[in-house]
Amino acid sequence: MKSVARIPNKELAIFFIVTVAIFCSLSPSFRTGENFENILVGFSHMGVLAVGQAFPILLGGIDLSVGSIVALAGMVGFDGFLIFGLPGAIVIPVMLATSVVAGIFNGVLITGARLQPFVATLATMAVYRGVTYAISGRQLFPELATRSIDDDLLLGLDNYVGHFPYAFFLLLIVAGLSQLLLAATRFGRDVYAVGGNREAARLAGIPIGRTTAICYAISGFCAGLAALILVSRMTTSQENLGIGIELSAIAAAIVGGASLQGGTGNAIGPVIGAFLLGVILIGLNLVGITTYAQPVLTGLILLGAVYYDRVLLGRRRLRLGKSQ
Amino acid sequence: MRTRTTDTYETSRREVMKSLALGALVAGSSGAALTGTLASSARAAEPAPIKMAFIQFQPHTVSSAWAKGIQDVLSIQPKFGFQLLDGQAKADIQISLMDTVINDGVNVIFVQPVDSVGIGPSIKKAARKGIPVITLNIDSTAKHAAHIEMNHYFGAMEIANAMGTMIGGKGKVAILNAPPGIIIRDQRTNGFVDGMKKYHPDVQIVADQVADWDRKKAQDVLSTILTAHPDLGGVYGVNDSMALGAMDVAKSKGIKLVIFGNDGEKDALEAIEAGDLAGTQYTDVFQQGRFAAAVATVLATGGVQASAFAEQGHLLMPYVIATKETVGTIQTYQRW
Repeated sequence: MKSVARIPNKELAIFFIVTVAIFCSLSPSFRTGENFENILVGFSHMGVLAVGQAFPILLGGIDLSVGSIVALAGMVGFDGFLIFGLPGAIVIPVMLATSVVAGIFNGVLITGARLQPFVATLATMAVYRGVTYAISGRQLFPELATRSIDDDLLLGLDNYVGHFPYAFFLLLIVAGLSQLLLAATRFGRDVYAVGGNREAARLAGIPIGRTTAICYAISGFCAGLAALILVSRMTTSQENLGIGIELSAIAAAIVGGASLQGGTGNAIGPVIGAFLLGVILIGLNLVGITTYAQPVLTGLILLGAVYYDRVLLGRRRLRLGKSQ
Repeated sequence: MRTRTTDTYETSRREVMKSLALGALVAGSSGAALTGTLASSARAAEPAPIKMAFIQFQPHTVSSAWAKGIQDVLSIQPKFGFQLLDGQAKADIQISLMDTVINDGVNVIFVQPVDSVGIGPSIKKAARKGIPVITLNIDSTAKHAAHIEMNHYFGAMEIANAMGTMIGGKGKVAILNAPPGIIIRDQRTNGFVDGMKKYHPDVQIVADQVADWDRKKAQDVLSTILTAHPDLGGVYGVNDSMALGAMDVAKSKGIKLVIFGNDGEKDALEAIEAGDLAGTQYTDVFQQGRFAAAVATVLATGGVQASAFAEQGHLLMPYVIATKETVGTIQTYQRW
């Protein structure tokens, strides 16, 4: 029943729409075009990260280092633009290459050194963050900390078509290509096979090492894209950029139907998951819920989303099982 | 004063409970049946004509004291509404919240930026809509209505002076520092280092290590420093939490250390009175919030645009170097 795993989660989409509808009915400010623009521009990077995170999770792994890769790629950009004064056409590819290399290194640790993904990426989370501090232009040249990046190509990313930010189109491309990769290529089938049953995949002759390395490279690449989006919005970067963002990305991917056991999920659900996080955060603030109650509520709503999704999925599986 | 504090506490507790109840409904609802109930409970909270929002860095004793100071001023007139938002110490979340409150049509935004440059585009967006922005403690590179901060640099110089005098003008001291990347960390560190050079050139700063603003982390870090430098004479915590962590170590090891913090929170002042902590830089943070709110009410009720000013307003808060001798001058109602 691979096709079931491939179609975007209808249950989550319904939950998402109901949540949006509730906030729309509660807050006049929520139901404005500008607010939807804010949600799209504020959480597109989260969507990109969540799609990237789906790949390691589909393998039954996890990538805790994405927050640090965001900071590393961001700092490479900061140094390139502000210390060396290079143009975006050079700096942007270097930022993305850095993040891919960081992702491949994760994959090598996991397949080559046979480390648990949790342990390997926990270690590189610290390593990449450390490297970010070490190469930080903000520390080497403190006066740069108060200069903003003014590269045309980079800042061009922070533009809109109507209410839709470029970052959102980037997310659509990333999610679309990822879904195509997962659903229609041999690599995609390999990912589900390895995540579903690693031993069986090995016996079937699937190149587990290569598949794993590519998945973590994709996760790294997405972190690089997220860094681009963030840096273009902030016109600077920070050593502590993206701290804790990996947990939001993992939450978005799991809410989006990716199972931590591996083998189940797609690239569309995580996008809905990411925007659900955004809708909740902004909705709760616009409705006027106090700050202290918000984390509790966010947790409850996410639990509700996952429960709803899983219960319905479970029921459907039961039905399918009976009909066979 | 006392009853008012209790009242505020009660109100905020009720707010939390109310919000939780409301949120549980949102979380649990799967049909339209509940929407009616929700809408009516939302209607109960009438929107105030003049709305102000404070986007904090993250919840902390300092920012909650600012929020209280701001509310002290705003609560006198019912026409002011106030909302406190949590930036979660993340620059991207804070920017998103800035966009949200701008869209919500607030009249004034208070913000303690996570990043001075990163908040810039949002501040410019607010300026285009004519919304004055007031920054607290951490300035922004984008021009805005006013910046109100503690006197980080000169206060830290005074701390160095007082500490140097207490350890007899020579010896070794250590700094328990915050992680890099925040301006006030640099100001509080540079002030201390420059102050030592100026007033007590014979005092050596032998260690400067990161303890994440955190009391527990400071205990571990200081224990390690003490292994390398058993003859340490003084410790400077860049905030009070880390200084209190150093105090815990000194107490448990039974050694005499001259420990200074920075901020002036209630726990630190009590530790100074008990003789466990040598001193701290105290700022009346309630007052800082009241100043910010006073500026905000003037700007909002007068319809004054921030762009009407040629220069950004800048207020450096007065401070007291609180030691055993001076701590008594800080009244109970000023303690946060």
